[in-house]
Amino acid sequence: MFVFATSDKGGTGRSVTSTNVLYRAALNGEDVCYLDFDFGSPTAGAVFGVSGVERGTTQGRGLHRYLHGKAVELQRIDVWQEARVLGGRPAGAGQLVLIPGDEGGGEFNQPPSDELIQRCADLLSHLNEEFSVILVDLSAGRSLATELALAATGLERMSRIESRWLVFHRWTRQHVLAAEGLVYGVNGLIRQAEARGHDPVIFRRRIRFVRTATTEPSSERERLGGLSAAQVAWLQQRNKELDLLASNRQVGRVVRLGTIPLDPVLQWQEQLISNEDVGRGVANEATLEAFDDLAERITDKSTWEQP
Amino acid sequence: MLTLGEVHTGLLQNSVPLSAERVAKVLRPLSGDQIQHYERPLTRGVTADRPRGVDCRLPAASKANPHVVGTVMWRSTVVGGHLVQGSAYADVVDTGEKRRLPWSHYTASPGRLELLTRADTEDVAQGYLRGATRPDHLDTAAIAAHALDRVQRSALLDRAPSLKTRRTRLRWAVIGTGTMPQPTTATFRVVSPDLRTVEVRVADDLMPGVIGLCEDLALHDWLLTTVARLLDNTLTTRRYGHVQRTELLRPAVDYFLHLWMPGARVDESLTSVWESLERRPGFTRQWDTSVARIRDQINLTTIELLRLTECATGTSAPAPRGRPRLPLGPRPPRRR
Ligand SMILES: Nc1ncnc2c1ncn2[C@@H]1O[C@H](COP(=O)(O)OP(=O)(O)OP(=O)(O)O)[C@@H](O)[C@H]1O
Ligand SMILES: [Mg+2]
Repeated sequence: MFVFATSDKGGTGRSVTSTNVLYRAALNGEDVCYLDFDFGSPTAGAVFGVSGVERGTTQGRGLHRYLHGKAVELQRIDVWQEARVLGGRPAGAGQLVLIPGDEGGGEFNQPPSDELIQRCADLLSHLNEEFSVILVDLSAGRSLATELALAATGLERMSRIESRWLVFHRWTRQHVLAAEGLVYGVNGLIRQAEARGHDPVIFRRRIRFVRTATTEPSSERERLGGLSAAQVAWLQQRNKELDLLASNRQVGRVVRLGTIPLDPVLQWQEQLISNEDVGRGVANEATLEAFDDLAERITDKSTWEQP
Repeated sequence: MLTLGEVHTGLLQNSVPLSAERVAKVLRPLSGDQIQHYERPLTRGVTADRPRGVDCRLPAASKANPHVVGTVMWRSTVVGGHLVQGSAYADVVDTGEKRRLPWSHYTASPGRLELLTRADTEDVAQGYLRGATRPDHLDTAAIAAHALDRVQRSALLDRAPSLKTRRTRLRWAVIGTGTMPQPTTATFRVVSPDLRTVEVRVADDLMPGVIGLCEDLALHDWLLTTVARLLDNTLTTRRYGHVQRTELLRPAVDYFLHLWMPGARVDESLTSVWESLERRPGFTRQWDTSVARIRDQINLTTIELLRLTECATGTSAPAPRGRPRLPLGPRPPRRR
């Protein structure tokens, strides 16, 4: 199964959420693989905590060069082995593999050629022989990486492989509107997909939204966190309005796959959150649960039935 | 004399093995009607060998990087209707000619790479087995992968294979030992979880048969690797109860066990190579161990199931205390 992670705006938490979700899926026994298609700034290595690939690989064997036919052999990083904090694959865990971008790769600057599309489709389907989830982190906004992903999965031969699209957004008015535009807009994903051979009705069912770094204005925590009663009331009001706006814009509950709460650890550092971080009381348990839930829902067929 | 090659092996992305007619249809876009079909010992469909032109360097061990021009042959094979191989190979020859000639010269003898710079056979063979490191090096991996990808592209495949498997790669070099009969040797190495190399030394006239030998070797290595990995995953997973775990082994029993026939399609004169590989690393010995583990696992599950039925029908005393929990049941709670 392919999972494409996208967002309209930058810095929504797409990469941090995706890496954590994939990590949880691997812990749970799935064989998973992360493809860094954010060619302009491939940062997945940093989030996984793999030294030497914080801004993509420097070995010249990353995705950007491979797709352009310039790499001898695509680099494949065993995250369990290479990540500083993980120290080996736990018993019962699945594979966790990172395929990095190239440092200094740069965005693609022209529409994908047929050759590029075929090569990308071959790569995706090759990985699909081995992994149960292949997560592709696209760059923010409308990019040629997205175009390439749509074109490759739009090929007739790829249509039998399940693919899913996650649209990440923060929980603000601007972000909700931006997410709507990215998916349903005139040059939005659905239109783009249609132009690349996808059936728009089916494609639409493959899209879900993920809210990131949310706070819960109703909770005690806010009040304990030093907010005044007036502030809490104001937040609750905004939250209600946002809910309404989101559902009017088809970004609401029915098509929401997950909600990741704001976590102090992630606010300060892009990283994997481990059970130990929660055990020590540094990261919130709710964050981990949200990652686990999302990991489960991505692969659970029933969540993808027609909304 | 020297021949270099590489074979990639994987699972055809279809839920069940294909009939010979389906295989022919899958291969047709690659090779038109020039598909060879064999019934025994296993069904095998093979595309015609095709040349791919290259002008590149060889990754010699000494870093001499000799220049070669010519063509690499490639072909795709489907074995047992279920496994797929992409294969690439070429002879490396020194004609004494050091100028680059027109293409027509090279296409006239397909499957031949002509050296434009001096090179030592041993040096080139060892460097090749170590692998390409520069973009201008001979890249048989890309050609073999392409030969495999081209088969997987077929729209006739349902893309619902019974299990996830990893491709394996076998890179090989055959060094001719001359025209006098010489003992043949083969050195097999496991380089990484998916890469193996083999270095074969045979009399010159036996060299052409080695391509088939390496394909056969690659196929069996894939079977061995895949079944061993499946067993390991099955025994370590915490996701399921005993019975469901044993179910995971089913594809191996249904589709793979009968494919084990090492050396059966190898040229008679080369059987000694297989024999030496059977001594070390001992493929069939390892295979038999895996098969025995699978059978044990299935037997244990059968016993569990029998006990379950007996408990349910009250025909026997309940299981003694301290036995593992009964296998059926909901999935254990997720770890946090
Ligand atoms: N749940 C969260 N709580 C707090 N901070 C978060 C959360 N998720 C992500 N962040 C932080 O938000 C910032 C942006 O996250 P990230 O890099 O994942 O976004 P992105 O969408 O991939 O950005 P880009 O478009 O630049 O690739 C990071 O500093 C990250 O640590
Ligand atoms: Mg990012």
